[in-house]
Amino acid sequence: MPTFYLDNEPIEFEPGENVLAAALRHHREIPHYCYHPGLQVTAQCRMCLVDVVDMGNGRGMPKLQTSCSTAAAEGMKVDSQSEKVKHGQILVNEFLLINHPLDCPICDQAGECDLQDFSFKYGSGQSEMEYEKRVYGLRDVGTFIVLERNRCIHCSRCERFTRDVTGTHDFGMFLRTHELTFDTFEDHQITDKFQGNLADICPVGCIMNRDWRFKKRAWKLNKTESICPSCSTGCNITVEHHKNRVFRLKPRENQEVNRWWMCDEGRIGFKQLNDRVTRLAEPQARVKGQLRSVVWETAYEAIVTRLKEIGATGAQAFGIIDTHATNEEMHLFKKLMQEGLGAETVYFPLRRGEQQVQPPREDMDPFIYTLIQTDKSPNTRGALAQGLTGDEDDKRLLAALQAEPKVAVICGAPLEDNAAVCKAAAKAELVIQLGTFRGPWTEVADVVLPGYTYAEKQGSFTNKADRVQRINAGIRPAEGARDQVRILQELLAALGKPQKTVDAPDVFDAMASEQGAFKGMSWDKLGSLGGVLPGK
Amino acid sequence: MVEEKQILTKNMRDSKYSGDLKAYKNAGGFNALDTVIRKMKPEQVLELVKASDLRGRGGAGFPTGVKWSFMPKDTGKPSYLICNADESEPGTFKDHLIMMRDPHLFLEGMIIGCYTIDCNTGYIYIRGESQTAIAIMEKAIGELYKDKLLGQNVMGSKYSLDLYVHPGAGAYICGEETALLDSLEGKRGQPRIKPPFPAVSGYNSCPTSVNNVETLACLPYIINEGPEAWKAMGTPNNSGTHMVCISGHVEKPGVYEVEMGVSLLEMINDLAGGVRNGKKLKAVIPGGASANILKADEADVPYEFDALMKAGTMMGSAAVIVFDEDTDMVEVASRTIRFFNHESCGQCTPCREGTFWLKNMIRDFLDNAGDEAKMQRVERVSANLIGTTICPFGDATGGPMGTFIGKFPEDFRKHFA
Ligand SMILES: Cc1cc2nc3c(=O)[nH]c(=O)nc-3n(C[C@H](O)[C@H](O)[C@H](O)COP(=O)(O)O)c2cc1C
Ligand code: SF4
Ligand code: SF4
Ligand code: SF4
Ligand code: FES
Repeated sequence: MPTFYLDNEPIEFEPGENVLAAALRHHREIPHYCYHPGLQVTAQCRMCLVDVVDMGNGRGMPKLQTSCSTAAAEGMKVDSQSEKVKHGQILVNEFLLINHPLDCPICDQAGECDLQDFSFKYGSGQSEMEYEKRVYGLRDVGTFIVLERNRCIHCSRCERFTRDVTGTHDFGMFLRTHELTFDTFEDHQITDKFQGNLADICPVGCIMNRDWRFKKRAWKLNKTESICPSCSTGCNITVEHHKNRVFRLKPRENQEVNRWWMCDEGRIGFKQLNDRVTRLAEPQARVKGQLRSVVWETAYEAIVTRLKEIGATGAQAFGIIDTHATNEEMHLFKKLMQEGLGAETVYFPLRRGEQQVQPPREDMDPFIYTLIQTDKSPNTRGALAQGLTGDEDDKRLLAALQAEPKVAVICGAPLEDNAAVCKAAAKAELVIQLGTFRGPWTEVADVVLPGYTYAEKQGSFTNKADRVQRINAGIRPAEGARDQVRILQELLAALGKPQKTVDAPDVFDAMASEQGAFKGMSWDKLGSLGGVLPGK
Repeated sequence: MVEEKQILTKNMRDSKYSGDLKAYKNAGGFNALDTVIRKMKPEQVLELVKASDLRGRGGAGFPTGVKWSFMPKDTGKPSYLICNADESEPGTFKDHLIMMRDPHLFLEGMIIGCYTIDCNTGYIYIRGESQTAIAIMEKAIGELYKDKLLGQNVMGSKYSLDLYVHPGAGAYICGEETALLDSLEGKRGQPRIKPPFPAVSGYNSCPTSVNNVETLACLPYIINEGPEAWKAMGTPNNSGTHMVCISGHVEKPGVYEVEMGVSLLEMINDLAGGVRNGKKLKAVIPGGASANILKADEADVPYEFDALMKAGTMMGSAAVIVFDEDTDMVEVASRTIRFFNHESCGQCTPCREGTFWLKNMIRDFLDNAGDEAKMQRVERVSANLIGTTICPFGDATGGPMGTFIGKFPEDFRKHFA
């Protein structure tokens, strides 16, 4: 690979790559505002200045160059630390601040603001501007975002995003000189499903996520790498939380899955994580028609005793799991149903996904529109890979329920909107639900075993393209609930099938050695970007 | 004694010259195109233009032949020649004169240019305010179509060419060639980053040459008389004649055609009648508002690209603005910065914010609220505009603003609080 030298450090670059892009890939910081790897280069903020002391041909460039727009060349020598460069950075940053409100104390971007960070690191710390600053005022521009225009640094990322990424042309540039504004067209509300990304790419607190405004100082947030569970794409995200409350989800770059983006639907998917009202927080057992709180041991004992009483045999056990369950849970659930309860078939509601929203133009990169899938669950492919029995129209599982099984085990909340299914399953003599929130299944369950939400546990999902991706435990689980992986193993043990595994990574590795579909994979190898099922 | 030349201005000097096609032909017009179309291959014309050392008259002084030779051939894409007739640089009014008084001279040059770069569609980008020039150009182009000098099979040859007039919307920045291209494509006119240069990827991403009106108007003479005749005028590397716009405090403001390299001071005195009302010369801007100002004692400099560059300024669009001894440089600076602040496209941080800041500071001086610190600040901010932006507009602002205060500090001191 060709190489150039940044402050004497060799940097390998792809042919055609620019200096800044290559430097950032090598985790070298060069301050910049307008450059974004997912957008066209415009080189207009002028912050990413470097000194090209040798273009690779022995000659240097007389003026400082913007590294975002300077093509790297073999043997090129670039200086990013010299006094000349520092002076250039100071002057650009000074210009950016003369009309900036610097209302950081009430600005939600503070703590994760490029302007704030780079001003501290590369600015002069002084201001000589003594005139009234430009004032534009706040505008309500979208269903999901607001525009605090005074803070705009005119980087044009928003304009380029709505031009090239969503093709919706919501943002335009109006007027010129210091009156230049980036704004939406008058009376035009942005309504597309990707607005949150505008708040992400805006390097300052100008475009703000409406839902997140004034909720929390950004620096207080803890961030947990996870996967968006709101559709089968499985956008890589961080779950951002403080004191056990989730405040927002942010996309995490994964070029194979979601690049830098996620959709708004996924972004507000976190709300349920903070729901303490319908959350199931202790095991319950039905006594004389009423659900009563019990301790875990009592719940397991009750199940074992009841199973003996009703004397269920293989064909009389019905198991269904929803596709919000992790691969590990599916693997254990299958074991529970087949080895513990002797069932042959383990059902899941199969929903085939397709792209839900079409791009507005044909002559554009439609990528972002492929994100939103009609399958609103994260692990349909996982269930298929496990060999569970998918049912597209729920007829087969209804038929199975018509055969009046004696035991029904419900993992998650599959088909909870389908009253016929719930009603048919309720006829079983023992209905067990492993769930996280109270719902129709809880109403008919004899034993309720409370599990964790996806923000509280480890596990993996297999997305629409058969990529297996990890979720991680971020917030503290509801007290009294237990990890589904633990519950399933405890049930297996109670039924005389103890497992050697302990936690989700263990289960994943065991699953990989037992199940062909996951052959050769390991939890560690999945890393933070996941891996594709072998042979896919 | 500086003398006027009559190479480009030969026809228009005659007050009875109507400028229509018949008049132009009677004056020997379209002989050059005839020679080109019938006897020369595009490469031969290119060699001739290169040999003439003709340099662009739009401001940058880039050799026209060299610019054309950068255009790739056989790309499978059409090539375009776009004439920059935006002429918005304060002090410049030569292109409009050519278009209004001798439109066919320019059009003959443009057709030769198009033929040379194998272009079948050309655009003339005129600033929208110039309704008269637009009407005249439209009419002249109509005459050419009728006479088969434009359209299918120009002069019965295999070569075809369509020319269109495109009115701009009145932004100075649309005179910068890449902003012009964006504007022509129907976008907001703002300069693009280079590379890619227009020669490789210009109008609609096709090979494009942007040329000034006067540059193209030089071509018929060069074809007719040969590059040697052209080079016999002017100085080495600054060949030929050019049209200089003299304005400001002179007796006879106007456009004067002179050989390259005559003395700027003599030109002002001999042709424009010197400073008006017998006043003394204080300063002169030699190349439009974007050029650094020269003090009276610096004005005896050869008027050509290279010598002016050496003198720390530029020939730019050949707009000479003269100031007499009564001029207050704070007012000149104020007028200049108000223009540049108004016209910045706003995309680069230093230009967008710096022009705003400078305008405010200069206004303080006008309000007699200046001080030493502010003078230094004006110099500092001006310097920070130079070399830090996408297009030369930053330099064009920072340079002159810095020199107003650097060369005439006493004018600014008079406005201290
Ligand atoms: C801010 C700015 C304004 C300009 N305005 C004009 C103009 O009005 N007319 C023009 O011919 N060139 C103008 N130019 C120069 C053009 O960018 C370009 O160099 C020129 O049109 C090339 O033609 P030439 O090679 O014939 O000189 C301007 C440049 C800048 C930076
Ligand atoms: S955008 Fe950044 S610098 Fe500006 S007020 Fe907000 S945190 Fe402060
Ligand atoms: S709103 Fe944000 S993204 Fe858009 S130009 Fe302003 S700072 Fe940049
Ligand atoms: S220097 Fe000024 S006019 Fe030129 S591109 Fe930058 S902001 Fe626009
Ligand atoms: S990041 Fe390079 S100019 Fe903005």
